[in-house]
Amino acid sequence: MPRLPYIEPDEADPVTKQVYDDAEARFEMVLNIFKITGNAPEIAQPMWQVYFDILQDGQIPWVDKELLILKSTKMGDCLYCVTQHEVVAGRLGVSPEKQADIVGVEYRASSHYTPAEVAILDLCGHVVVDPESVPAEVWRRVREHYDDGQIVEVVATIGAYLQVSKFGDALGVQLEEVWHGHEPVLFAAEPPTSSASRQHFEHFLAQSPSA
Amino acid sequence: MPATAVIETPTADIEAVYRDAAEHFGHVPNFVKVLGTNPAFCRSITDLTIRLLQEGRVSWAFKELVILKTLRATGVYYGYGAHERLAVELGNSADRIGDLHNALWEDSPHFSPAERAVFALVEQIAEDANDVGDDIWDPLHAGWDEGQLLELTAVITTFVNLGRMFDTLGVSDPALFARPVV
Repeated sequence: MPRLPYIEPDEADPVTKQVYDDAEARFEMVLNIFKITGNAPEIAQPMWQVYFDILQDGQIPWVDKELLILKSTKMGDCLYCVTQHEVVAGRLGVSPEKQADIVGVEYRASSHYTPAEVAILDLCGHVVVDPESVPAEVWRRVREHYDDGQIVEVVATIGAYLQVSKFGDALGVQLEEVWHGHEPVLFAAEPPTSSASRQHFEHFLAQSPSA
Repeated sequence: MPATAVIETPTADIEAVYRDAAEHFGHVPNFVKVLGTNPAFCRSITDLTIRLLQEGRVSWAFKELVILKTLRATGVYYGYGAHERLAVELGNSADRIGDLHNALWEDSPHFSPAERAVFALVEQIAEDANDVGDDIWDPLHAGWDEGQLLELTAVITTFVNLGRMFDTLGVSDPALFARPVV
């Protein structure tokens, strides 16, 4: 159950309604995670603008950012984010096989990944675990392929998805029914490590029509 | 030295961001200058940070303690000294700041039950956000309204983000504000 009420579009104040309209135009629906921020509209607008910036082509292609989103949210065992972004990544051309190889360090030896992608996924792993642990050789490989503005976008994407995954999970935001029936890729390749997340995952599978 | 370029003189597309930052912080903090190579994120991340670092539904003074506890609980230290100074300037005692360390807050006489409930949330979000149960949410609902709880969760998770992002990029902001905040 969500820990705060979802503010539906017909109850939203004008600021929140504008955020919802922007979200619906971009994502075809107003997700529950948007609706929960209707409890503080003045925060919803600047918070979601960061994600609107991420979820489009920028100084790096959107599809590269989806790889970072899948990697960072999988490491945080976020069923809500991983499920949705498996679908988004698929729409942007990332095959299920490529998605599955993102777990652990499988991507390093995977034929689906370029050296540039491996470099930013290695960076992502270090940022999630401990920024102090980023080795010089990872920075060297990242800089071989990306300029300064692109590196900012890479790190901002990783940070933002650590933020939103913890935000949604802590508030108990539920996956919308439209995702029920989605065949999990990353959690099928590697089950959640957190016992709480495993319970969420099993609950999700039980709700799926294919279960 | 940061991992990426520091843009001291803004290009036309980020002049307004630097102006807004200077107005709010009294100068342009280094985090804004490091974001300067990417105008879109320079704008949006600066705006979000400005929104949270001011009075809100929750007092700025308490939000600074929440930020300090979040940085400690997640093992990142971007801006720790700056937030410690802000916490003092906004009226927190050295005892309240000191009792954020490890589990001292749990039995500290310097915090209310509502404040302790927030530190419990910080620690659980840091450890595993999938596992924030009734034992944590019931005291939160007893002490705060819904808008305040949304703001507090946003502050915690935003500083999970900013701490990791700016530690990774090697940003140092020993003084976020160059103007009095009270």
